[in-house]
Amino acid sequence: MFNFNPQTLKKLRRFREIKRGYYSFVILAVFLVLSLIGELLINNRALIVSYEGELHYPTYSAFHPGTDFGLDYPYETNYRDLKQSFADQASGNWVLLPLVPYSPFENDASTGIFRPEPPEVEKKHYLGTDATSRDILARLFYGTRIALVFALGFMVSVYLIGVAVGCAMGYFGGMFDMLTQRLIEIWSNIPFLYMVIIVFSVIPDTFSVSTRILILLGVMVLFSWTSMTYYMRTETYKEKTRDYVAAAILIGSSNTRIVFRHILPNVLATLVTFMPFTIVAAIASITALDFLGFGLPPPTPSLGELLKQGTQTLRTAPWIIMSAFGALVVLLTLVTFIGEAIRESFDPKKFTTYR
Amino acid sequence: MQRIENIKFYILSALVLLLVACGGESDQGAEVESSLDNTQEILDFYDANPELITFATIDDLPNDLIWEEGMDQPEIGSPDAVKGGTYYEVLDDFPPTLRTIGPDSNFSSRSWIRDNYDMTWAMPHPNTNEYYPGMAEAWAISLERKTIYVKINPAARWTDGEAITSDDMLFAFYFYLSDHVQAPFTTNYFTTEYTNITKYDDLTFSITVPKAKPDMASRVLQSGPVPQHFYKEFGEDFPERYQWRYAPHAGAYYIDPDEIDMGVNIVLHRLKDWWAKDNRYFKYRYNPDRINLSVVRDTAKRYEAFRRGDTDIFRIATADVWYDNLPDNDPDVANGYIHKTTFYNGGPKSNWGLWINASRPFLDNQEVRLGIQYAANWELVISNYFRGDMDRLKTQNDGYAKFSHPTLTARPFDINKALEHFANAGFDRRGPDGILVNAEGQRLGFTLSTHYERFADVFTILKEEAIKAGLELRIEMMDGATGFRKAQEKRHDIYFVSFAASNEMYPRMWSYFHSVNAYDQAFLEDGSINPERTVKPQTNNLQSVAIAELDPLIDEYQDSDDKARMIELSHQIQQAHHDYGSFSPGFVQPFYWTAYWRWVKWPEEFNYKYSLYPYELFVHWIDEDARQKTRDAQDSDQPFEPHIAVYDQHRE
Repeated sequence: MFNFNPQTLKKLRRFREIKRGYYSFVILAVFLVLSLIGELLINNRALIVSYEGELHYPTYSAFHPGTDFGLDYPYETNYRDLKQSFADQASGNWVLLPLVPYSPFENDASTGIFRPEPPEVEKKHYLGTDATSRDILARLFYGTRIALVFALGFMVSVYLIGVAVGCAMGYFGGMFDMLTQRLIEIWSNIPFLYMVIIVFSVIPDTFSVSTRILILLGVMVLFSWTSMTYYMRTETYKEKTRDYVAAAILIGSSNTRIVFRHILPNVLATLVTFMPFTIVAAIASITALDFLGFGLPPPTPSLGELLKQGTQTLRTAPWIIMSAFGALVVLLTLVTFIGEAIRESFDPKKFTTYR
Repeated sequence: MQRIENIKFYILSALVLLLVACGGESDQGAEVESSLDNTQEILDFYDANPELITFATIDDLPNDLIWEEGMDQPEIGSPDAVKGGTYYEVLDDFPPTLRTIGPDSNFSSRSWIRDNYDMTWAMPHPNTNEYYPGMAEAWAISLERKTIYVKINPAARWTDGEAITSDDMLFAFYFYLSDHVQAPFTTNYFTTEYTNITKYDDLTFSITVPKAKPDMASRVLQSGPVPQHFYKEFGEDFPERYQWRYAPHAGAYYIDPDEIDMGVNIVLHRLKDWWAKDNRYFKYRYNPDRINLSVVRDTAKRYEAFRRGDTDIFRIATADVWYDNLPDNDPDVANGYIHKTTFYNGGPKSNWGLWINASRPFLDNQEVRLGIQYAANWELVISNYFRGDMDRLKTQNDGYAKFSHPTLTARPFDINKALEHFANAGFDRRGPDGILVNAEGQRLGFTLSTHYERFADVFTILKEEAIKAGLELRIEMMDGATGFRKAQEKRHDIYFVSFAASNEMYPRMWSYFHSVNAYDQAFLEDGSINPERTVKPQTNNLQSVAIAELDPLIDEYQDSDDKARMIELSHQIQQAHHDYGSFSPGFVQPFYWTAYWRWVKWPEEFNYKYSLYPYELFVHWIDEDARQKTRDAQDSDQPFEPHIAVYDQHRE
């Protein structure tokens, strides 16, 4: 499918040889794939309900009011109770629940009081519950999913803008370069965190949660793309003076062709090396913003919100901070390992004779 | 790194420039200061407003007045109280100014700068609600003349030793009515609430109010003078000039501005020869010699500071701190080092609830509002989140004794009733996610806005429960200023807030329920709804209540001086408001929790009925010996008798 050149293949092989980075990559990739079907693993909706000979699959379907399964309420069925009552009736009906049968939003207080409860395998609260008795594993899982998707989206957007502007500056040079460079200098001196806080606090509330997350992403990208342009600009400058570019110009290639076919592939190494670190930065910023209360709107599950809860309940519910902190450490370590490995495998010095 | 260095350089140079500039300015200021004197301007103001400011002689005083001295009320505080020691308290933020009037003066820690120990002419007794004298020696109320007469206590002194006279009260009118004070609310209050002040002699004056109301005495007796001698330089630059000067008052504590550790610490000193120290109502109060106020901005850190013994008293606001962080079996509590008390207090309290904006689409339909009432599961919030300690609020105006409605109660959580009301409004089917939709496919969803982050968990509970009734609540958490501005501009759907009630005789109706505070011209001549009406921002009618039949009742209530009629009207207004369904009564805290180290001592009854905070009456005292003994006992793990008490003598 892909036709990599030998150089790239060599780098990829090298990446595979760096075990730490490679396994980190595998773990993270598996997690990403799992998280895309997360509703099948961690959810309060049942996977399969067999009711009076008919099979229902509530996970991705429209909601089933309790009356659908012979219960007396018109709102969403509580499938854990349903499973219990089917078991008690022994009428051949059955329910298959996900591994962790809780949604990240529902309060499940065993004592009738909303408070943190320690991990308990029997109740399937594997990491305990948070300050309002919501399952921490569910909140961590979906919080991490949002953070990862957010970070990926952030990275792609930042690179699109940064690479485009940086390449153009380096390739065209002259007045365009000079003016853009000044603009970027001014722009990058606007304090990013304050701007995010200000902009996000005036967003109208009529937008749905996902729109608000998108706006947050947009604002963050708006103030973060500049750093990428510096590297791209210098790299492009460097490549532009090489003989092969001169040759391409000589045979009459268009600017587009030169940039996309000749220069970009040659500066790719720089880009790829930075990617994981951009992701780390994005996860850290979104967590920090949530911690400060300016990030994702509640009750969206998020690492920062859990961390904040954890610091407030250090004495009484240490499992909250431990889970949130542990997840963050693991996540950031994995991405950093990948980054280190990529940097090492793409390092041109490996193949020089000066080593 | 280079960039950071550069920034540092710029900041430093900017600071240096600023310092140089400031130094220059203050030098200049000192020169001008000595020459400033506004005495003539004040006299000119008095001359120009003879209607408002009247000079009379003591012979002009009516002789049919019945003077009250208020000396028959029970004493306040405990005879066991001992003076001395240092009381350690925290401020949640450093004061931006020492002024308690003008721009930026409404800061959260201002109560410690002045309000907590300030005095008025007379104050309501914290148990009986009858007046006892502050700076006044006696007062007389004349309903037919709409006038309150006050004799000032000849012993009354400002904290700087100057005598308090009628001139200081006259000056208060000049001061608060001036544009220089930059306090529109207070200026407006003085414009609308008082019509005349008359000076009879240095220690006698009277103030006339525009309307005779059952509680009109409070307008005067609970006000205070302004020290004219201190504000000699009061002028256009008042906010800057008086930014860090400490205004004298009549209370027991003072601050030495030179001693302030900016941003960190403030110390209050007790006046050793305070003029009221032997007074019946003050002799057992204001006991600590020093009050040390240090800034700790974060609640969790304030709690840790208390646990270390850095501060003496900790007010506990939430159940998780009371039950989980500091449970009764905590070693410090079980060993008797830290005492815990629950004190039930009386009077009106914060009315937490959902303020539904009836001017918004769909919310202008009464059926939708009533549905929301039944879809708000406050019972679950109270039982599971507040652990049953809070009471359910009944109406917006609980706690006003006879003025509160005797029988009205909040509507319970009832999914079927909620669905019924929503169906009446056209929302009769559920969408794929369980939220109700109407025939046009519009969702039954509203934004629940608030700036109370500490109650964030309450909203997630309400949200999850409302889904059962097919109602979607989108939670919008904002910071204080932005959030409240949104509500004031009436751009909210539903706002969660409470209006802290001061201890007044009767609830305010006009500002919350009158249509003039909801819309510009709410109704046409014939009483029908004006189709072109626009919402009126910056009023307290956050629910946009506009009921044509209700307005005359509110007007009558507003003007009546007959207490019995006002009570009757109050009940009618509350019934109409209840039927209108724009307020979902939430919870009310009928008590306050206090944790304190055992060296803080309290009267036998702990505190007084109308107190909102344990320390506000200063009836506690610090036993420095006990402090040392407790410290020693902590080191040697030696226990004392634990003290976990409930004082419910004032429970209603």
